[in-house]
Amino acid sequence: MAAFKVENINLWYDDNQALIDVSLDIPGNQVTAFIGPSGCGKSTLLRCFNRMNDLLPNTRIEGNIIMQDGREISDPSVDVVKLRTEVGMVFQSPNPFPMSVYDNVAYGLRCQGIKNKKQLNTTVEYSLRQAALWDEVKDSLQRNALKLSGGQQQRLCIARAIALEPNVLLMDEPTSALDPIATAKIEDLMQSLKRMYTIIIVTHSMSQAARISDQTAFFLLGKLIEVGPTTEIFQLPKDKRTEDYISGKFG
Amino acid sequence: MNRARRRKDFFRTAGTWASAGLSVLVLISVFVFVFSRGISTFSFDMLTDNYWATNYLLDIENGEANDFVPPAATDEEKYFSRKFGFSLVDDIDKENNRLMVVESMSALSPLHEGIIATAGSDQGKTHPVPLGARVRRIDYTNINGEARSAGILGQDSSAAKTIERLEIEAVSINGLFYQTTGGGIRGSIISTLMLIGLTLLFALPLGVSSAIYLHEIAPRNRLTSWIRAAVEMLAGVPSIIFGLMGVSMLFRITSLFGINTQSILLGSMTMTIMLLPLIMRQTEEALIVVPASLRMASLSLGASTTQTIFRVILPNALPGILSATLLSISRIIGESAALIFTMGTAISDNPKISQGATSLAVHIWTVMAGEQPNFELATAISLLILVMVLILNLTVKLLTYRINRKWQV
Amino acid sequence: MITDKRQKNKLASCHRRKLWQDKVIKRIFQGSAILAALMILFIYFFVISRGIQPFLPSYDGDQQNVLSFLTGNRWRPDMNPPIYGVGFIVINTILTSLGAAIISFPISVLTALYIAKVAPPKLRAVLTTIVELLAAIPSIVYGVYAAGTITGLVDDFAGLFGISTYGGNSALAVILLLAIMIFPTITSLAVVSIRAVDRNLELGSIALGASRMETNFKVVLTSAKSGIFAGLALGLGRAFGEATAVSMVAGNRMIGPTLNPFDITRTLTTTILTGMHETSPGLDYDMRFSVGIVLLLVILVTNLSIQYVKRKVGGITNE
Repeated sequence: MAAFKVENINLWYDDNQALIDVSLDIPGNQVTAFIGPSGCGKSTLLRCFNRMNDLLPNTRIEGNIIMQDGREISDPSVDVVKLRTEVGMVFQSPNPFPMSVYDNVAYGLRCQGIKNKKQLNTTVEYSLRQAALWDEVKDSLQRNALKLSGGQQQRLCIARAIALEPNVLLMDEPTSALDPIATAKIEDLMQSLKRMYTIIIVTHSMSQAARISDQTAFFLLGKLIEVGPTTEIFQLPKDKRTEDYISGKFG
Repeated sequence: MNRARRRKDFFRTAGTWASAGLSVLVLISVFVFVFSRGISTFSFDMLTDNYWATNYLLDIENGEANDFVPPAATDEEKYFSRKFGFSLVDDIDKENNRLMVVESMSALSPLHEGIIATAGSDQGKTHPVPLGARVRRIDYTNINGEARSAGILGQDSSAAKTIERLEIEAVSINGLFYQTTGGGIRGSIISTLMLIGLTLLFALPLGVSSAIYLHEIAPRNRLTSWIRAAVEMLAGVPSIIFGLMGVSMLFRITSLFGINTQSILLGSMTMTIMLLPLIMRQTEEALIVVPASLRMASLSLGASTTQTIFRVILPNALPGILSATLLSISRIIGESAALIFTMGTAISDNPKISQGATSLAVHIWTVMAGEQPNFELATAISLLILVMVLILNLTVKLLTYRINRKWQV
Repeated sequence: MITDKRQKNKLASCHRRKLWQDKVIKRIFQGSAILAALMILFIYFFVISRGIQPFLPSYDGDQQNVLSFLTGNRWRPDMNPPIYGVGFIVINTILTSLGAAIISFPISVLTALYIAKVAPPKLRAVLTTIVELLAAIPSIVYGVYAAGTITGLVDDFAGLFGISTYGGNSALAVILLLAIMIFPTITSLAVVSIRAVDRNLELGSIALGASRMETNFKVVLTSAKSGIFAGLALGLGRAFGEATAVSMVAGNRMIGPTLNPFDITRTLTTTILTGMHETSPGLDYDMRFSVGIVLLLVILVTNLSIQYVKRKVGGITNE
């Protein structure tokens, strides 16, 4: 079952059109990778799923994204704040809040009004375990999160998003600021997470897309060029441009 | 380059050096002046004394001569009366007038038994002469039963002569006239503190929330740019105009609370409006340096805008708000024109929020605007103000430096 | 975990409260911003409405004539009936402030150039701090300083010409005092605008064989003129509006413009301020508001004319 059905999305920043007539399905409990050169619109599309584009002034969107419950994502009855608890997001560079590890993970829950200490404790531990960070930080939960290494910070950001039990995790080039070892850890993590969450990842690295994703979508200049199972896209691309990009002719 | 060009270049460079040097000279000259003139008058007593000297005319009963033992270590400058058990020393006040001060009193000295003789509600109450009292006159009875006076208002110009006369002639003392020390700035310090406290109480919430609105919430539309322009204009209004506004507009508000005179409350409300542009600008600068990614992260976790503001942005903007506070305090301490209108120029030793009083700066103005300007006191207070303003501003500079460094990591 | 149903209901109500709080707090923030913005209107409204009272027929005191107020050559609140003429005071205000600007402007611009372009990095930081400190010194302290040093200097200087002054209280003392006080304002704005000049312009000039100093004077300063003139406008505004310090050295002139720099003077602000402590509500009090209106007008006109001058001054524009 599709987690999102994207139908004919067009998006403008001021007068620049960033997305042109994009339609695709995001299957549930799979990893979908968006690839393409910089400025191709892949991150812009990602931000449509939790309506982060609303925050940018002078942005205009046309078209629909149908959610799992059948509602349109920009429908007035959709509560944006609630939507964002259901669709978690991990950003390009790790951005933990300058507070303790514990407070970072508990942040979203507290914003929801959960004050129960026991519940917070269990959720924090569960989320950190899921993000494969628990063993590294269990003795220093009160340490400032900014003191963690870059890879740990990024896993903390994942834990922070998981704590809200979202249905979908959006990842915007989550490993681009990390070293190879930290990257490998995050990729492993994604493999284990996809059993529970629908994951959409924007990545710059084609090898990463090939390693972790089930479905891949290739974007170029705001257009969706090709979408399909990852193995097909990488082995038998239908479009010449996809082939050129994958074989490294441009990027 | 030919010689003419080279010479012109030289003069231009020299011009910039000279101008910069001049500004250094001016600053040094202000400091040297205030320090050299102010330091001689500046004293700890000045900070704790009242401004208004109070006169006490006391009757003394049971003032018969006795035989008191002088305190063990009496040095040359102190003159002890064996008959009445107290000692006097010579001193001069801030206006260079000679005076005598009570230096010590034996436990049974008749000076402990003073009774206020001045008409008024306190008349008849017991009032022991305090140590440090500036004795102007001592009334005594001599051996022939005649009433006589000793002291500066009597016939004696020094402590030595006064004590000597008493020791030789007096059979009993029956009255004493003394003044408390005046010329201090305790009242103005207290009213300045009250003014600072009240102003910050009003101005910080208003200024900080306005800045948050403009930077975090406001849509980019015409209303927002009007608000910005209006606040910008507020920054250019001379402080004396704020004073006029205070007495015409804010006065109506304080009247609602039954305060129908100039008051510290009125002054603080005026300062609030005056400081809004400063607080808003400082706060906004602090908000600007909070990384946008933190806002994004918070919102993506389902926090509402205000939750994001209170939990993530404000804690990180606190150092900036602190420097806004310090700069505001510095401005409040230095402000005079607006406060002359709204708080009045009458120096008060017991300032109350609902009454007029002078801040330190207005205290200077009051003592300078009188018939005989008290230049010594004015420079001493200037010294105090200057040091405080200096410390506050340098602290802010240090804070700003550290904030900028924090986010550069 | 957030699974059982009762808790889900509780969360939903929590969520509704959160959205409601969000709205209310946003409104409060918006309200305070609008309140802050309204203050400028309130200031103008209350000062003007009180200041025009004495000229209205409905005034319950001696009605004043607008024309003789604006063009008057005498300020004699002590006479009976009192005479309030503000014309010569406007002239004195403009003369002293302009005098201060003429002294301060070149020094400020050169200092700014020094700070931004010439000084070694360490001196640069020191000088920036010095300018900031000069700006932070309260006007009352400047007043005491001027009353203690500048008046003496002026008196000695006048003595060289065989002129005796009123203890140094004079237009010249006001000019010197104001020149010091507006220096940091002009300088700091000039530094900002000089720093903002595109480095490529400079490099272009140097590539054309101009020396560094020639570039600074001919390219950098002309490119930064917009900001520099904004600083001048702000400085003049400060000079016009400065009250306490000026009142301590201005003297208390009653008649006619001050053309002799060693003579006492009277500015708009000192007029509003002097005798404040001995006046009571009535005509004398209301007239201070009328003078306040004139002061606001003078500042407004000055800003407009500086805008005009800015457009006229030659060189490259960076707008």
